[in-house]
Amino acid sequence: MHAWMRFKTWLLFCAAILLAGPALAHKSSDAYLFLESSGGKTSLRWDIALRDLDAALPIDANGDRQLTWGEVRQAWSAIDALALAALSAPGCRFAVQDHALERRNDGAYAVLKLEAPCEIGENTTLNYRLFADIDPTHRGILRFTRADGSSSVRLLDPQQAVATTPVAASGVATAEARPSFLREGVHHILTGYDHLLFLLCLLLPSVLRREQGRWKAVENWRAALLPVAKTVTLFTLAHSVTLGLAASGHVKLPPSFVEPAIAVTIMLAALDNIRPMIGKRRGWVTFFFGLIHGFGFAGVLGELQLPTAAFGWALFQFNVGLEAGQLVMVLLVVPLLFLLRRQPLYVPGVMVAGSSAAVLLAGVWLVERTADVSLLPF
Amino acid sequence: MQARCFAAAMRWMPVWALVLVTAGHAVAVPINPTRDDEVIERLPSVSVRNANSSDPAVALREAQALLDAGRKEGDPRLAGRALARLSRWSADPKAPADISLLLAGTEQYLHQFDQAIARLQALLQRDPNQAQAWLMVATLRRVQGRYAESDTACRGLQGLSAPIYANACLAENLALRGQTDLARRQLQALLASATQNSTRAWLLTTLAELEQRAGRSDASDAAWRQSLKLAPDSYAAIGYADFLLDSQRPKDAWQALQQEVRTDAVLLRLAMAAQRAQLPEAPSLQAELQERFSLADQRIGSTGHERERAMMALEVERDPAAALRLARLNVEHQREPLDILLLARCAAATKDAKARSEARQLAQDMGLRDARLDAL
Repeated sequence: MHAWMRFKTWLLFCAAILLAGPALAHKSSDAYLFLESSGGKTSLRWDIALRDLDAALPIDANGDRQLTWGEVRQAWSAIDALALAALSAPGCRFAVQDHALERRNDGAYAVLKLEAPCEIGENTTLNYRLFADIDPTHRGILRFTRADGSSSVRLLDPQQAVATTPVAASGVATAEARPSFLREGVHHILTGYDHLLFLLCLLLPSVLRREQGRWKAVENWRAALLPVAKTVTLFTLAHSVTLGLAASGHVKLPPSFVEPAIAVTIMLAALDNIRPMIGKRRGWVTFFFGLIHGFGFAGVLGELQLPTAAFGWALFQFNVGLEAGQLVMVLLVVPLLFLLRRQPLYVPGVMVAGSSAAVLLAGVWLVERTADVSLLPF
Repeated sequence: MQARCFAAAMRWMPVWALVLVTAGHAVAVPINPTRDDEVIERLPSVSVRNANSSDPAVALREAQALLDAGRKEGDPRLAGRALARLSRWSADPKAPADISLLLAGTEQYLHQFDQAIARLQALLQRDPNQAQAWLMVATLRRVQGRYAESDTACRGLQGLSAPIYANACLAENLALRGQTDLARRQLQALLASATQNSTRAWLLTTLAELEQRAGRSDASDAAWRQSLKLAPDSYAAIGYADFLLDSQRPKDAWQALQQEVRTDAVLLRLAMAAQRAQLPEAPSLQAELQERFSLADQRIGSTGHERERAMMALEVERDPAAALRLARLNVEHQREPLDILLLARCAAATKDAKARSEARQLAQDMGLRDARLDAL
């Protein structure tokens, strides 16, 4: 009977956990380490959750399951000792210089500011053992900032105290990354109808010139080459800038803004073909709109799980892929437009009608992207 | 059109402000206490510091308390501590059965499915009469989409416990494979004989999911509501909310989750419901979700929250390309109907024919039948 009762409890437990478990997991125990090292000196900021420290040290002196500032202040020396014993680098002795407190989304963190009179390289083996016996799922997330301001991240696992290989820094991982990020870039530009449509809108008038309020076909291919090169270069420069900024985490915009904004850029570019209003500032507008498209590319890149150590290289490949795809499109379209430019129907039939279609299509995208409805089958 | 865009822009202002401030880092705000009695942090109620008893009964009790609290508060830290509390038995082939079961349950909670299964199978090798272990293997295999192995484990239960558990276990697998009528009859017969509210609620949840996959909305709605009325639990509340969201009833979904602890899974559904019902809470919920995930995202590699992350990218952030990538990662580990459906929805949203056929192939290989997949 006893065994059966216990079994029933277990079944309830199973029904609840086994089913609910996967959906619930959120934030495991992580400590954050920020390391800078140069000129024979290393400084390290180490953020450790107070809830984790509570499991290792008697910080909650009165046992009321609340930590007051007084209790934390009393515990600093014990916290320092615990931390210093849990991290070592060959030939380096850290000393605690300062303390602070910080609140993150999952609770309050003790902040230790440490210094050591030695240099730690990106590949130096760090021996990290924090909370090894308290929580086997604990990890340290180390951000290593280089002299030029760029940084890499590695995961410190107390269960493998010494084996702290930098994430994806090995030659093999980089070599594997090469074709795939390039391919992702090409794939994204060729399947990104909105980017292609925008570029097409910019290219449509490149085989024409404006004379006394009327469109005239350019005389020869040299005259078309300059506007095409200017447009493509400005668009490329602009989206590379924001792609880089966004991918490295310096600027972030939510897709709920970027995606509708991209639709707006297409509408405006297309409207300008129908009724020119931007005029000589077209270069600036192209550049500004290109900035917005860069955020769109970054949205894709952000989820590719870029190798942090080879981040710059992967980003470069992705961008090269984008530009290659874009160039293919330019090489296919521009000669065709060039051949058609003298046709009497080019302006009304290709440029105005095509741009009107683009305005409509981008308008539908704008509605879809702001109002959460699906109007088109693709 | 521009006015509309501007209005939309203003509506999302708080989100942008937050995202721009965050600028790639998880938010960390300095705390500057001024008085000694200022409370800095509230700790989880369970504390087992210095607990290192080698008595398995004591360790079991303490670890169980940690895991229960972790589940209740949605805090995987406490599950990690439960693992640590049981670590002296973790590699012990002669560990007491209760300890092995709790270790496996904790590993399962932390999404270490393969480790949990290996541990349970080792236990069953020693003692094939461990009913709990069979049931857990059956569930884990089902979560992995390996229905034949789940069936085997269900049959292992036969003769070890009341027939209802083995039969419900097999009926659920039948339902997943599309033998809906037979499974429905079996579940209804089991319901007729079950007396305990908790057991009935569990069977009703299984039935509600069956009807949902069969595309019978009214029957599913009724079963979900009956189940929640008998024994409210967060798994069923989330499942019902998903059903309501799929049925274009975001306001009802919002209501269904009001009593739940705001775990990531719950918060995500609330954000989806608020967004679709255009409730004023939508921007702040999205901001909170993004803040939570930006912290968790810093862990490199599989985090076990890919399902929620993918759903958020697809439904809240409207970034189907990112969602598809995460949904693909997710089905490498867990393959419940929702996971396959999510992959298919991401494929549809990105118009990615290859991903679409991947999802279809996956369902076919598993033997899963789901009207929601066919409708895409």
